[in-house]
Amino acid sequence: MKPRHNLSAHAWTRLAGAGVVAWGLVACAPTPVVPEGAVQARAELTRLQSDAKLAPLAQQALTEAEAAVQLAEQTDAKPEVAAHRVYVAQRKVELARALAEARFAEQERSELTAQIDRARLEARERETAAARSDAQTARLDADAARMEAAAMRAEMEAMNARPTDRGMVLTLGDVLFETGKADLKGGAVADLDELARFLAKYPDRSVVIEGHTDSVGSEDFNVGLSERRAASVRTYLVRQGVDTSRITTQGMGESVPVASNDSSGGRQQNRRVEIIVSNPTQPSM
Amino acid sequence: MLHLEERDAPPRRRPPFAGLLAALSGALLLAGGCASNAPAPTAQIDSAKQAIDDAERAQAAQHAAPELSQARSKLASATTAVQNEEMEQAARLAEEARADAELASARTAAAKAQAANDEIRRANQALIEEMGRSTTGGTQ
Repeated sequence: MKPRHNLSAHAWTRLAGAGVVAWGLVACAPTPVVPEGAVQARAELTRLQSDAKLAPLAQQALTEAEAAVQLAEQTDAKPEVAAHRVYVAQRKVELARALAEARFAEQERSELTAQIDRARLEARERETAAARSDAQTARLDADAARMEAAAMRAEMEAMNARPTDRGMVLTLGDVLFETGKADLKGGAVADLDELARFLAKYPDRSVVIEGHTDSVGSEDFNVGLSERRAASVRTYLVRQGVDTSRITTQGMGESVPVASNDSSGGRQQNRRVEIIVSNPTQPSM
Repeated sequence: MLHLEERDAPPRRRPPFAGLLAALSGALLLAGGCASNAPAPTAQIDSAKQAIDDAERAQAAQHAAPELSQARSKLASATTAVQNEEMEQAARLAEEARADAELASARTAAAKAQAANDEIRRANQALIEEMGRSTTGGTQ
């Protein structure tokens, strides 16, 4: 009994010794450990992916976040590369969440503005029933119009349009077009989809689409390019169901810079498409 | 005949030559790997700048200030890294700056959309109250 026990203990010691040697060998190779930050990013991503309310609203961003998290989970990267991948992965997951939340709020807004429309309709119906005085009717109409204008302004601002003398202006940056080309890149589409929804809701609004370029290249080329870019925005909006008669396009070339053409940053700002949403004829208040 | 001879000969003749080739290509690879005169990550830096511009235009300074300033400082670090010829580091910083700026834009959009909804809710409420008042005024 006893010797047998001793023997097995001895064998165990030897085994452990071999194990230590093997461990030492393994430790010489980069230790395959998923970075802690990547584990957190994965957890956060999984939470978002399984959120039935938000996940369907940012599928593209979720796919990108998934790829970034997978990259961050790799165990063979140098420390600085691993830290970088973790950082990007965390940001991409947060980005997907923020995009989904923005999208969710937009959907909510459509319901809210529909409520305003119903309230206005109701007001009209009651007007006839109550046989209100002209003054009362006028005041109620003006109020409703003011509310609607406020709602519309809020929507335009949410689209990143700025109020100007000419109306609300939505600017699509150069990054939304291929260099020297008129084709729209993916990023522009989200803004334009929102604009198309806006135009569907407010049929009394029309838009002027202006293409602009920097001062590089001949003026003829620039005017042509800016025209083609404006036209490609129009084509997109028309495909989204906006009537052609509501859209005017203009190629401004390099004639209206918003920044200096002397720096690359300034030139980049100058290469843009501006969409001006006209102010409708305001009801007199 | 010739064919057969060539088949037999290689084991003797080729090793030194092959070894030389391998050593040469290894040296080339090493030289390539060590050289720090890689091109500056211009494309990454440009797209980081553009993403920051977009965020600024969207008024991220009001709605997502920490993300925006993080993006700006990463971009500044990327530019410094380029000056120090640390191109890989510069590329990483630029990519991080862009991720920060895109997040700033998205959070700004979310905040604005939320604010717009709040405004519409208030407008809705005011309209409903106004209608109630008008109706009462009309019937009395």
